Amino acid sequence: MTSGGRIEITGLTKRFGSFVAVDDLTFTVEPGRITGFLGPNGAGKTTTLRMLLGLVSPTSGSATIDGTAYQDLADPLGTVGAALEATNFHPGRSGRDHLRVLATAAGIPIARVDEMLEMTGIPAFARRRAGTYSLGMRQRLALAAALLGDPGVLILDEPANGLDPEGIHWLRGFLRHLSTDQHKTILVSSHLLQEVEQTVDDVVIIANGVLVKQGAMADMRGGGGAVVRTPDPARLSEALAGRGLTATPGSDGELVVGTEDLRLVGEAAHEAGLPVWQLSRKAADLEELFLELTSGTNRNLGPGPTEGVA
Amino acid sequence: MLASVHAELLKFFTTRLWWGMAIGVFVLGAGLSLLFGILYTSESLLETASGPGGVPTGDATQIANSVYTGGLGFAYLLLLCIGVLSIGMEYRHKTITSTFLTVPKRARAMLAKVLALLVIGGGYGLLSLVGSVSVGALVLNLRGEDPFPSTEILRTLALSLLVLGLWALIGLGLGILIPNQVAALMIGVGVAWIVEPVLGFAIKATDFGREHVAPYLPSEATQAVVNTVRSSPDDVRLSWYAAALVLAGWAALAAGPGILRALRQDVS
Repeated sequence: MTSGGRIEITGLTKRFGSFVAVDDLTFTVEPGRITGFLGPNGAGKTTTLRMLLGLVSPTSGSATIDGTAYQDLADPLGTVGAALEATNFHPGRSGRDHLRVLATAAGIPIARVDEMLEMTGIPAFARRRAGTYSLGMRQRLALAAALLGDPGVLILDEPANGLDPEGIHWLRGFLRHLSTDQHKTILVSSHLLQEVEQTVDDVVIIANGVLVKQGAMADMRGGGGAVVRTPDPARLSEALAGRGLTATPGSDGELVVGTEDLRLVGEAAHEAGLPVWQLSRKAADLEELFLELTSGTNRNLGPGPTEGVA
Repeated sequence: MLASVHAELLKFFTTRLWWGMAIGVFVLGAGLSLLFGILYTSESLLETASGPGGVPTGDATQIANSVYTGGLGFAYLLLLCIGVLSIGMEYRHKTITSTFLTVPKRARAMLAKVLALLVIGGGYGLLSLVGSVSVGALVLNLRGEDPFPSTEILRTLALSLLVLGLWALIGLGLGILIPNQVAALMIGVGVAWIVEPVLGFAIKATDFGREHVAPYLPSEATQAVVNTVRSSPDDVRLSWYAAALVLAGWAALAAGPGILRALRQDVS
């Protein structure tokens, strides 16, 4: 079981003619953590991953795994496992044969192929020709291919696409196991924050090829404060101010308090002799945050009226 | 390197393409050697063999060569297709991504393809020969001809394997340079089967073309390598080794730029 390496993206830029697909992107992905690589469709995620994997040559900048470019890795499949698109199979070749080809080229024993098919839950299907596979099955096969060399770094492009709810649940648990128990580096791209919200530890958000946010998922959620509802908001505000807490009136008579410690708010209300009708942590609206960070400037959409099409 | 070549061969033998092609190559080998065996040993032909006119001309060795390599003229088209498909299918189904992820040093990946195609060409050549030599020797025997008039036959048989491998490399180059697989197949077969022979015919209309240009065409070089019966006594032909070099040159000319392009090109 290989534990992970560190992915370093430095000043990475890719131009296609006058179109800048990825623009001076810099971020790192740490071992033992699951990092979500997020952005709307067409933000440059796949181009970034392909540059990291030596498939697309950058216009400038570098992308390395523990300081080494992918092309220079001594044992590529044993270092990095990538599942880029779930459609990259020859329809006339069985999934198992696809893996056998990869294993043969990388000097991996064929027994490992069946082991991976067993682990991803498709040992029987894998003997059929890949043209008959559902998208979910292709995703599992792509994952099996990525894991073939027991790499320390996993790069998965939209791995949840086409999986049923049971499959998504399984994938979450599986990635968690690889990250926590085997200390692997996992980079998962997605165009939906909600999809990876429960899975990832860190996020890297890009829009139009530019980094807009990098940080821990916990920080994204945090800073929401507390919401309290009481018959007399004005008096509660005073009581909270006495404890050094700021409260601002929200909608429908509620107060938004600048703390996440609900006990402080409850105690203040109790001292003031006020009944509490509702007291809860204000959840950061991740969907809204994500939209705020990434939308409005989507270069792939026309102005105004066409926005609803996407 | 050996592992990469092995993987390329496995790639080829894990789709249904290979046995369809195998049947084609075998049947063509056997069928055409039967046809040519009867044709070249017919009385009228042999009588006029040294005479004037556009009648195929050759000695006993050339006749045996022609009979045994009768299927070659079609088999090389099949190998051309295999060459195109070996890379065309990778582009079409995007398996080129996993190929370059597994062997990120692209020069190595492409060299593995070249070596695998030479092996595949040789393999199909053997298969073709099993069909053509068994049937052809039988026909020549029945017709009262010596089925093995000289050891040169062995050289021809061995070289026909090389010829098929080289045509597969021409296909590989085409397959990269024309990324649309269907277009590559149509253009490849169309040029090799129709345009180039017709062009050759036209070139032979002038003395200069007949002597200095036509012998260097791929199909003419192919016939010269295996030293078959000439289609006309006026034809100028390269020696077998010069012809082999010329054909290798054509393979390099097609595969070289193709491979160079594959080494640089973004895979998306």
